[in-house]
Amino acid sequence: MTAETQHAREIPEEVKKEFRDTWEPPVGLAGWLSSVSNNNIGSRFMLLGFIFFLLGGVMALLMRTQLAVPENNFLGPEVYNGLFTMHGTTMMFLFIIPLLEGLAVSVVPSMLGTRDLAYPRVSVFSFWTFLLGGITFFLSFLVGTIPQAGWFAYPPLSGEKYSDLGMDFWLIGLGFVEFGGIAAGIEIAVSILKLRAPGMTLGRMPIFCWAWLVTSLMMVFAFTTLLTASLMLELDRGFGTRFFDPEHGGSPLLWQHLFWFFGHPEVYIMFIPATGIVSSIIPAFARRPIVGYTLVVTAIMLTGFVSFGLWVHHMFTTGIPWLSLTFFTAASLTIAIASGIQIFSWIATLWGRRPAFSTPLLFVVGFFFIFVLGGMTGVMVAIVPFDLQVHDTYFLVAHFHYVLIGGVVFPILGGLYYWLPKITGRMLNERLGKWSFWLAFLGFNLTFFPMHNMGFEGLPRRVYTYPESLGVGHLNLLATAGSYLLGLGILVFVVDFLLSLKYGKQAPADPWGGDTLEWALESPAPQANVNSPMIVHSRHPTWEQTSFDQGNELQVRARQALDYAPLGWRATLGTNILTGEPEAIHPVSGPAYAPFFGALGLWMISIGLIVKLNLLSWFGTGVMIVAILIWTWTSEDDLRKWRESKLDEKFGLPIFTTGPTSLVWWAMIGLLTVIGVAFGNLVYSYYYIRLYSETWPQGSLPRPDLLLPALAHGFAVAGAAPQFLAGRCFRHRRLWRTTLALAASLGLGLLFIGLQVYSLLQLGYGPSVNAYATLFWVISVLFILVVAVGVTMNASAILRIWKERREEKGFAPIQVEITGMFWYFTAALAVGVYGVLYVSTYW
Amino acid sequence: MFNVKRSDLGLFGLLIFLIAIGVAGCGGTPPQSMLVPASDAAEKVTGLTWFLVILLGLIFLITLALLGGALFLRPRDGGDSSFFTTTRFVVISGIVIPAAILFILLVAALNTTVALTQPETKLTVRVIGHQYWWEVHYPELGITLANEIQIPTGQPVRLELTSGDVIHSFWVPRLNGKMDMVPGNENHFWIAADRPGTYRGQCAEFCGTQHAKMAFWVVALPPEQFEAWAADARRPHPEPATSQLRQGRQAFFRAGCDTCHTIRGTRAQGKRGPDLTHLGGRLSLGAGTIPNNYGNLQGWISNPQAIKPGNLMPRVYVAPEDLHAMAAYLESLK
Repeated sequence: MTAETQHAREIPEEVKKEFRDTWEPPVGLAGWLSSVSNNNIGSRFMLLGFIFFLLGGVMALLMRTQLAVPENNFLGPEVYNGLFTMHGTTMMFLFIIPLLEGLAVSVVPSMLGTRDLAYPRVSVFSFWTFLLGGITFFLSFLVGTIPQAGWFAYPPLSGEKYSDLGMDFWLIGLGFVEFGGIAAGIEIAVSILKLRAPGMTLGRMPIFCWAWLVTSLMMVFAFTTLLTASLMLELDRGFGTRFFDPEHGGSPLLWQHLFWFFGHPEVYIMFIPATGIVSSIIPAFARRPIVGYTLVVTAIMLTGFVSFGLWVHHMFTTGIPWLSLTFFTAASLTIAIASGIQIFSWIATLWGRRPAFSTPLLFVVGFFFIFVLGGMTGVMVAIVPFDLQVHDTYFLVAHFHYVLIGGVVFPILGGLYYWLPKITGRMLNERLGKWSFWLAFLGFNLTFFPMHNMGFEGLPRRVYTYPESLGVGHLNLLATAGSYLLGLGILVFVVDFLLSLKYGKQAPADPWGGDTLEWALESPAPQANVNSPMIVHSRHPTWEQTSFDQGNELQVRARQALDYAPLGWRATLGTNILTGEPEAIHPVSGPAYAPFFGALGLWMISIGLIVKLNLLSWFGTGVMIVAILIWTWTSEDDLRKWRESKLDEKFGLPIFTTGPTSLVWWAMIGLLTVIGVAFGNLVYSYYYIRLYSETWPQGSLPRPDLLLPALAHGFAVAGAAPQFLAGRCFRHRRLWRTTLALAASLGLGLLFIGLQVYSLLQLGYGPSVNAYATLFWVISVLFILVVAVGVTMNASAILRIWKERREEKGFAPIQVEITGMFWYFTAALAVGVYGVLYVSTYW
Repeated sequence: MFNVKRSDLGLFGLLIFLIAIGVAGCGGTPPQSMLVPASDAAEKVTGLTWFLVILLGLIFLITLALLGGALFLRPRDGGDSSFFTTTRFVVISGIVIPAAILFILLVAALNTTVALTQPETKLTVRVIGHQYWWEVHYPELGITLANEIQIPTGQPVRLELTSGDVIHSFWVPRLNGKMDMVPGNENHFWIAADRPGTYRGQCAEFCGTQHAKMAFWVVALPPEQFEAWAADARRPHPEPATSQLRQGRQAFFRAGCDTCHTIRGTRAQGKRGPDLTHLGGRLSLGAGTIPNNYGNLQGWISNPQAIKPGNLMPRVYVAPEDLHAMAAYLESLK
């Protein structure tokens, strides 16, 4: 059954056509640069991610060739070291995460029954940052200085003394991809919370969406931490700060803490969506709802939560007292329980159903074998005395490839066989699919199983060669042979995919008998995904519902409001977080160039800074500012269309919203979370360095003055008070008073900035004296930037109010509201910053 | 349908066969194998390893058997009334049993951890990691070595570990686990050897171009031999006895080797490279890269970059006759 066929009332063909045109991206290059549709962006993410996968795979095959025999001279040490650094980084940051993100961007909206993600321009922005970041990574090949510090880039090796320009490209590329990842995280989380089909309560949400909800929240926390840390490292490298410099009071181990605080959740950011894929495929093939839905959801949440408390298990050998490490052993083992729940729930779901062994399920079975083994070795390495032996050996290499290839790549391939028909509209070939699976499965095990034993025999990881006397030559030869098979398996998949585009069978709406909403749509899914909202009464709508137009009065009304409508502008239905009851009609963006130019501007700034081309940086700054202004300033034209549609009056669902109903409100929550996490990371660094310093402030630096900064931070706190008045006055439409209050807040912000800049200039030392000075300066400057953003928001809110002074409905209310949110947060942050940087030094 | 499955099983069988080859195919005494421990501590970890491999291996097989049951058994009603399709099954096998097993593992882990805690030691060795070699000091004995650590058997030796540049990691698998060497930081660790022998160690934290060839030897001697060695090692070198050796020493200084290397008892006091005072007695050259003999020594001096590309020793031109003399001189430093 398709959405097309279940219309109670007839919609004229020309309306249908106009509706489709509304959602169709522009054609040609313009379309390519400006399209924001989730279907386009998702496919692009996946395609580019897959290209990077092939590049990373070629690097792996080159490395395996070098390692085939002892004392081999195929690649020199420098090329090999560059290759393993780039291989790891490419696979993690440019393949797995973007490809999964792309799958989410493609599939989650149709699974939720919504027309696009909450912030379509954000998804395309994160695509551009991904593309530019990826290019930046690979630029290091062009400038002839491939980074050689491993994917976790431990300083001092990654510092300016031991690594050259390639490392800067690596860090900036990484920063870009992470930046896009944070944006995508916020976007996917808000979409899942706010844009579900009418009637889709949280309890009726597909597990895939639960997995993505947890993952996207983790991305916001983990990627922000990595972004902060990589900016810190870049500051150390290019701008003389001392975060990680042991000769000036910094700590190389601080990087490891920050990196693994990101790095461990990162593993689950890849793994949780993969389990979401498995939890989608298995019920479809077993024709039985997943057993223990609530348990599985709980397990996913537990995994996400606990994963932030495990980072130290990557640092067992750094000299942290062993008994305190045991805490992390215990925490790591609880993850095994969370995985156990899911494994046995899948077994229970399959039990006795004799599923057809089509390619998607075959990959899931392969996943079981490989991942369970990888899980077992994961339990082993969580045990401190054992890890002290195998840490940084080939046992580890075996373990994480079992987890990442078995636990993530196999589900991804299974997921592609499962969902590509929905995305491209073509079926893949079963015979080639089986070949691909068996080659990849055998090749994988041949490659990586012997590596466990190499680790036992004492072969450390990241060595470009090894002496014959270690006795691991034959194991390596086996592994190399296996890697070629694995490569062949992937190649067969690529051939299958390319052939399917031209010769593939037309995909039916529901080739597998899935239970989620996307299978009710035609294949490929229409650009708007759902032409009319689908009312959901079940956790398995396509199994248990015969129609999607029945529901309570509100739901039916919402369906009518958006039935092939509106025309000429894009809108989707906003629903309640818990109940999924309709609560608003949200306009969503159409094609836009601003995200592309915003990303491009940011890229020019970064490249200009690392290659010391200031002109490029300034030009980039200009481009970015213009792009941000265009992006954030909702056009009059759009506002007029929304007002004139009168959809809100006719159907009782607001178009202009405030508070938690509004998507803008949630975007602000996301932004504040990111700023909060970044400051959290810096404060952690501050106390970490302090803990290991003999005196504080370090060296002979004086304690900071209390008085003037107290006044300054007092102004920053006071800047929040008028926001309260502004909110109240604006609700009563007292425009002059609102303006006055906002202006007062703006003035207080400027006072803070002036005073604080003055007191920093009075310090008498720069950020490169030692790690204390670095932290003091960086936290101070960052907070000044936060206040500057608050000042700008005040100015923008005042403009907006007067622009809309004659309008009853508009953007002014939400803008006043989020300006207030930002300032309350700033006030709290001011107290915190003052407490940490000033007061706490007197303790 | 059935045919497909039989061939599938066949492929699984092939896989297991190949894996078995992989595990079985090793002979000789592996110099760096954690499965052939030579100390009490390493032996405890090896025991723990086998315990983990067997226990978790069994669990792996049981889980796969259950998966096989799920895929291939055909209960009459499609399994709808089977225990294996209930939430109870998920709770028991996914929570209760794993929790019990993990508790056992945690206890085993704690036990072994306690057993590995540093014991009382009489001897301290200070090891400083450098891009791609090891500086070794005996603070109590006043001895300095490079790329080789002599220890007495039967007693634990305390290690003070740090680094002169980037992060390295100290690891002699047959004697104990590993411990990182972090610049600006001192980590403490210990090793012991139950019986005399030479044990290979290798840097375990990626540290740059030649991380792969940054190895060293631990030489365990019976206590009385160790005492004799230590007494000998403290002695300054006698003057070169032959003219060839004297020529070798002159060539050493002429080539500027003393900018980086120390030979105690001479004016060579360079600190950047390994101390050469006892070079002649060492097992290998270039931090475990090639065996130490007259020929290799000449090869190393004339072009260290060919043998260990990217190491920090520059290629210095030495005339052929000087090369022979220099190698002979260095070989005489026992």
